[in-house]
Amino acid sequence: MQVIENIKAIPKMQKFRYAMILLASMSLLGPLAFLPQLVGSDDLCGSLCMRRFYLYFPGMTWEDFFVHVNAASIGVMAFSLIMITTLFFGRIWCGYLCPVGGLAELSSRMLNDRWKIEFRSLPQVQIRYGYFGFFLVAMPALGISACSLCNFITIPRLIEAMSGEYRGMVFLVSSVGLVNLGLLLLLGVFASKGRAYCQFMCPIGAADGLVNRLGAKMPFARRIRVAKERCTGCNICARNCMCGAIKMVDKVATVDQVSCMSCHECVDVCDWNALAWTTRPNHKVNEPKRIKKNTEIFPLPDWQAVHFNPVKPEAEGGIETGPAISLLSVFNAMIFLTVVSIIIVGSFL
Amino acid sequence: MSRFLLLIVLLVLGSGQVSANPRYSDPDGCLSCHAYEGLSFIDEHGVLRSATIDRNHYASSLHGSVPCKDCHREVVDYPHKVENTEVDCSESCHIEEPSEGVKYSHDVIHEEMDKSVHAGGWYKGLTGGNRLEEIETEQDPSCRRCHSNTLYIAETQLANFKKEFDHAETECGNCHQGKAWMGQFGGHILRRLVGRRWNNQENNQMCIDCHGDAKKMRDVEQEDPKTLEKHPPSDRFVHSADSYAKTLHGRLIVDGSAYGASCIDCHAPEGWKHEIRSYLDSESASHPDKLPETCGQSNCHGYAKKPGNEGFTLTDMHDVSLLGLTYMDKPFEVKAVRASKWFWSSWPLLLIALVFAVSSLVWWLRFRDTKKIVPIVGADRFESVIIGRKGKAKAERKAPEKKPVVKKVVKPAAKAPIEPKEPVMPDAVADNKESLAPTVAEVTEKQVMQKEPMLPAESEKLKSAPIEAIIEKEKPIEIDKTEAELPKVDNDSNNKGA
Repeated sequence: MQVIENIKAIPKMQKFRYAMILLASMSLLGPLAFLPQLVGSDDLCGSLCMRRFYLYFPGMTWEDFFVHVNAASIGVMAFSLIMITTLFFGRIWCGYLCPVGGLAELSSRMLNDRWKIEFRSLPQVQIRYGYFGFFLVAMPALGISACSLCNFITIPRLIEAMSGEYRGMVFLVSSVGLVNLGLLLLLGVFASKGRAYCQFMCPIGAADGLVNRLGAKMPFARRIRVAKERCTGCNICARNCMCGAIKMVDKVATVDQVSCMSCHECVDVCDWNALAWTTRPNHKVNEPKRIKKNTEIFPLPDWQAVHFNPVKPEAEGGIETGPAISLLSVFNAMIFLTVVSIIIVGSFL
Repeated sequence: MSRFLLLIVLLVLGSGQVSANPRYSDPDGCLSCHAYEGLSFIDEHGVLRSATIDRNHYASSLHGSVPCKDCHREVVDYPHKVENTEVDCSESCHIEEPSEGVKYSHDVIHEEMDKSVHAGGWYKGLTGGNRLEEIETEQDPSCRRCHSNTLYIAETQLANFKKEFDHAETECGNCHQGKAWMGQFGGHILRRLVGRRWNNQENNQMCIDCHGDAKKMRDVEQEDPKTLEKHPPSDRFVHSADSYAKTLHGRLIVDGSAYGASCIDCHAPEGWKHEIRSYLDSESASHPDKLPETCGQSNCHGYAKKPGNEGFTLTDMHDVSLLGLTYMDKPFEVKAVRASKWFWSSWPLLLIALVFAVSSLVWWLRFRDTKKIVPIVGADRFESVIIGRKGKAKAERKAPEKKPVVKKVVKPAAKAPIEPKEPVMPDAVADNKESLAPTVAEVTEKQVMQKEPMLPAESEKLKSAPIEAIIEKEKPIEIDKTEAELPKVDNDSNNKGA
C-alpha cells in the first residue's frame, strides 16, 4: 500500500511531532477538553484567551491593562510560558503543541498537493507584522472584536459541531463563524503545508516569532542553525519547510528566525547534516584549521542561526551587506498595512 | 418602666449575648395575645396562617428592637382587622442613622424603581402584603421577587462573620461607644462589611430566573419610552440572557471570575441599582450615547470614555446572530430548514464540491501518471522566490520542449531546442558543475542525482522537464513575461529578507 509506505517514510522526529499535536489536540479541544476543564472552561476562550489582553485601546492606562490581564489570567500565564520556552528552545508551542495550527497542518498534509495554494513565497514577515499592528491598535479602535477573526474559536467549535454539540453548530453558521471557516480552509487546509494562518494572522505566533528572533543570538538558545559550508544547495529543506522560513540565497539555505517554528523537518530531510537544532557552538567559528591542497578544511561547523546576505566579493573586502530581514521594511509594512486596512474596514462601518 | 426593669434583669444576668435579650419590651402589648401558641386564622384564600410570635425569635431578629407598631401602623386598637396589618416598606423607617439622625427610608429606592422598566411591579400594598398574592401573571417584578426572604447571613459567610464579630467590640467600639449603638447596629453594619451577600453570579441568576425563560419573555409587552406604545417583544429581548451568555462578560461570570460584568453592572450601574431603563431611553445607562460612561466605569474599560475609542462601544453585547438556530428542537421541518443558514450556505458549498469532483475526475483521466505534483496556485512564485531559480527557470522554459507531463519513464526530448532566444545554456551547464543538485529537488530525483551526481546528460534530461508544465503547457510565452518581472519583486522586498 502506497499510503503505508508514505507513512513509513515520514522521519522519526516528524512522527513524534504529529503525535504531540494529536495529543495536544485531544487534551485541549473538545469533546474531552481535559486541560481547559481543569480551569473550568470547555474551550480556549474566556479566562484562557491568549489573544486579547495585549490589545491597545486609545488612552488605555496601566490599570485597564491589568484588568484585561486579570480577566484572562490563565491565558496570560500560558502566553508567558510559551514565550519563555520559545526563548530557550525555539517555537516549540507553535510547531509541536498548538492544536489550532497543528490540526490545520495535519489535515493539509493529508490532502494532495494539487489542491493547494502556495503561500510560502509571499513576504510573510511583512504581512504578519502588518496584520499584527492592525490587530493590536486599529481593530480595538474601530470596534471590531478581536474574536471575529480568531482561529482559537473556530477549531474548538468545529470539533464541537462534528461531535454534534449545539453550540458549535450555532457558531459555525453565524457570519463570524462562516468567515472563520473560510479562513481556516483557505489558509489552513488548502494551503501548502497548512501553516499559512500561522504565518500571516496568528498574533501569538507573531509575538512568538519576535521572541524567537531576539533569543537567536543568545548562547543558550536552541534554534535551527545552518552550517553554510556543508550546504550543497539541494533546496530540499526549503521545499519541506512548512513556514517558508528557509530560503535559498545563492544556493545556500538561510533560516529566517522570525518565521521558523523549529519543527525540525529540515534537519530530518537534509542529507548533508547542514542543518541542526542546536545551541551556539563554543568553538571558534569560521576558522579554517588548515589548508590542504588549496582547500580550506572546516573541521567544525559554525552553526549560524541569524543569516546575513552573503558576502559579495566585489563589494569592498566582502562586507556583510545586511540582516536577513530588514527591520525597516517590516516597520514600513506594519504602518502601510495598518493604514490600508483602517481605510478598507473603516469604509464599511 | 418595664424597659428599665428588663435592663436591670439584663445587668444582673450579665449576659454578653445581645441577641438573646429582649432589648425592648412590647410597649403596645401586642405580645399579650400574639405570644400564645396556636394563635391562627384563616385568610380569604382559605389558608391557615399562624399569628403566633415567639418572643425570643423576634427579639433576636434584625427587627428585635423595633416595636410592632412601627411597621404595622394601621393597627390602632384591639381587636384589629387583618387588612390593617399590611406593611409598606417604602415608608420612612424606624431606624435613625446614628451619624446623621435621619430616619432611614426606602423612598430613594422606590423613586428609582419608579423610573425603571420594572416600575409597574411596585405598588402600594403589594410589597408588604400577603405573600400568597404575589401574582405570577404580573409581568413586572415586585420588591420581593428579587429581594427574597433569604438568610440574614449566608451560610458561606457565617464562619467569616463569626470571626469578625469577635473583634467588632474592640475595632468598631473604639469610636462607636455605648451599648445601644453597638447592640443595635454592630451586627447589621458588620454584615454589610463582611461582604456583599450576593456575588455577580447570584445577581445574574436572579435576572436569568425570569429573563432566561424565553416562553415567559415572549408574553411580555414592551413599552416604547417616548410614545408609550405597547408592542410585542423583539427577539433580541426574548433571547437576551442567551446572547449575554455568549459574551466574554457572561462567560467570565459563569467561570466564577470577578472580572465579568453582571447584568446590573451595565444596566443599572449607578445609585441603588434599581434604575434599569430601556436602551431607547436617553437617560438609560445602555443608551448608545451613555455607553462610553457605562463601559468606562472604574475597574472596567476606563479607556472607553477617551477620544479615539468611539468604536469600542459598537461591540454588541446581545448579539442575536450568535443564536442563529431558533428551530433547533425541530430541525427538519420546512420552516426550520428555510431559516437555517446551513440551507443557504450549502448551495455554494455544493457548487464548490461539484467543481472539486469534476476536476478530480479530469485530473485522474489526464494526469494520473504525473510524478511531479505542484500546488495549483503559487508554485511558480515559490520556485523563483524561495528556491531562487531565476535565470535558469527562464532558460528551462525557453527550451521548447512540448511534452508537458513528466512521465514515469523519462523520454528523451522529442524536439531539440530550436533557436533559444538567449544563449543561456552554457550558464546552466556551468551551474550544474558548481553544485550537486541545483535544479531538481524532488526526493526521487535527488536520489537519482546522488547515485550519479556528475552525469551531465542525465541531469540535462531531468532539468529539461519543465516543472510547471502541467499548468502552463499551452502558453509558455506568456509565462515568460510574468516570470521576467518576478526577479525584480524578489530583489525589492524579499532579497533583503533573503
